Amino acid sequence: MEPNNLFSIHRIILLTKQSLIINKKLIAISVVGLSGAIFFILMFLQLRSTIIRWDNSDYMTIFNYFFIALGIIYSGLSFPAFRSKERSIDYLLLPASVAEKYIFEILTRIVVFILIFPLLFWVFSNLEGVILHNFVPELINYKFSIWQGLLEILQKKMNIGLIDWWVWLLTIQGVLFLLIAPFTGASHFKKSPLLKTLFTFTIIIVGYAVLTYFLVIVLNTQGYEPKNGKVLFLNVGNNLPSIFAIAITVINLCLMTIAWFRLKEKEV
Amino acid sequence: MIQIKDLNFAYPRQQTLFSNLSMHLEAGSITGLLGKNGAGKTSLLKVITGLLHPKSGVISVLDYNPKKRDVSMLNNIFLVPEDFSFPEISINNYVKAYSPFYPRFDLQLLHRILSDFDLQANSMLQRLSYGQKKKFLIVFALATRCKLLVLDEPTNGLDIPSKSLFRKILAGSLDENQLVIISTHQVKDVENLIDQILILDSGKVIFQHTIQDISQKVSFISGTSDDLNGAIYSEAIPRGYRLMIPNSHSETEVDIELLFNAITKGKKIE
Repeated sequence: MEPNNLFSIHRIILLTKQSLIINKKLIAISVVGLSGAIFFILMFLQLRSTIIRWDNSDYMTIFNYFFIALGIIYSGLSFPAFRSKERSIDYLLLPASVAEKYIFEILTRIVVFILIFPLLFWVFSNLEGVILHNFVPELINYKFSIWQGLLEILQKKMNIGLIDWWVWLLTIQGVLFLLIAPFTGASHFKKSPLLKTLFTFTIIIVGYAVLTYFLVIVLNTQGYEPKNGKVLFLNVGNNLPSIFAIAITVINLCLMTIAWFRLKEKEV
Repeated sequence: MIQIKDLNFAYPRQQTLFSNLSMHLEAGSITGLLGKNGAGKTSLLKVITGLLHPKSGVISVLDYNPKKRDVSMLNNIFLVPEDFSFPEISINNYVKAYSPFYPRFDLQLLHRILSDFDLQANSMLQRLSYGQKKKFLIVFALATRCKLLVLDEPTNGLDIPSKSLFRKILAGSLDENQLVIISTHQVKDVENLIDQILILDSGKVIFQHTIQDISQKVSFISGTSDDLNGAIYSEAIPRGYRLMIPNSHSETEVDIELLFNAITKGKKIE
């Protein structure tokens, strides 16, 4: 019987099993190491700070730094087979479709990270909080809630009162961008993909800044009415979150498409 | 099984490697792909397996376009590359991780050949020597029972007993629905194994004949300078010459090295 050439859940399961057989030691070491790092870094920071004032927002700040840094590094390690010619041959000739390999990579590098890392951080930050509270009772707010932290960021720090749908979309897409950009970079660059991706986006952002500077300051282009401190953005009034949300969604979709074609057209 | 017509291929920013290359291979054969260094043997194998994409031309492997790397095609192709890498797992775990992707995988055959090659299933792949790793990859390739097996320099790194064992095992593990392509410089290693010779030169297939066809047309003998007249091609050896002469009497064993040198120097066997 001819197998389905486009997509098969059975082959996704086979890819998962294969990945677990090959990487089980690495996964175990990484989870233990990361849990320890969360535990001790939190303890270190709490003991160095005015512990009585430590609250959920402090936990959330540490969580955000961890999430962004680890997320970028982890998704930047996507498509590990592409780092060498020998492993690329092995990977490309493995009997699974492009869609299966692509979806498996998204699942393991982005989806799993988004689901597992907050859970891991939540478990070990609360565990650490409870243990430290026993020894240092001044640590009053030792319970961490990611949900509460997210609401605080959206409601208080953005100072918009009610949560705007566009702000939600912008936040979600912004977070996804931080994971998708290194993912795409890893599909494109063979050696040092993370560094090269960061360099590429730095060039793009600097280019955008220089272009805007010339348009607004040097050429004094009509139509640009930059407000103080917002010289790099069009003056779009209250529509800024919606415009940025749409822009970053489109960018993310483009990056995902590029990664797909890089995998599909990959040669050795 | 493999049909290539007017294939053109070049690496980026390099001269054309294959120019209007055409060839046709059917199942039930072990074909030796021979060529000088840089003739493009490995590149041709990569084009056939879909690892490189041609600029133009028609290529069909098992009725699929290899560029698409369809699962139905990948199920039936196994490439043993010259250079390879293994994950840090045991042979057993490697088999568990990779064999389910090959529907006709034969576990019994795998264990039989592993034992023939004196490999232990619980050995860690990273701790094996290059030759042992290569033997394992050949064993795994044969156990997949893929319709197309592509072996790039399979005997590189094998010791002398393993080379003869390789010939014996390969010949004894195939069926008539399979095609094996062996690209090699070590022609002595594949003598008495291959039943078809394909020579690649200057971006084209310049020679494709079965061993039977060759031995019907030419003979390979040792002789003296008196025998040089009438020889299609000759090479000096200690105490005489190796000669390729038109076959007039009995069939002789094909001297692949001599044949290769003759063909690449423009000699014809017709």
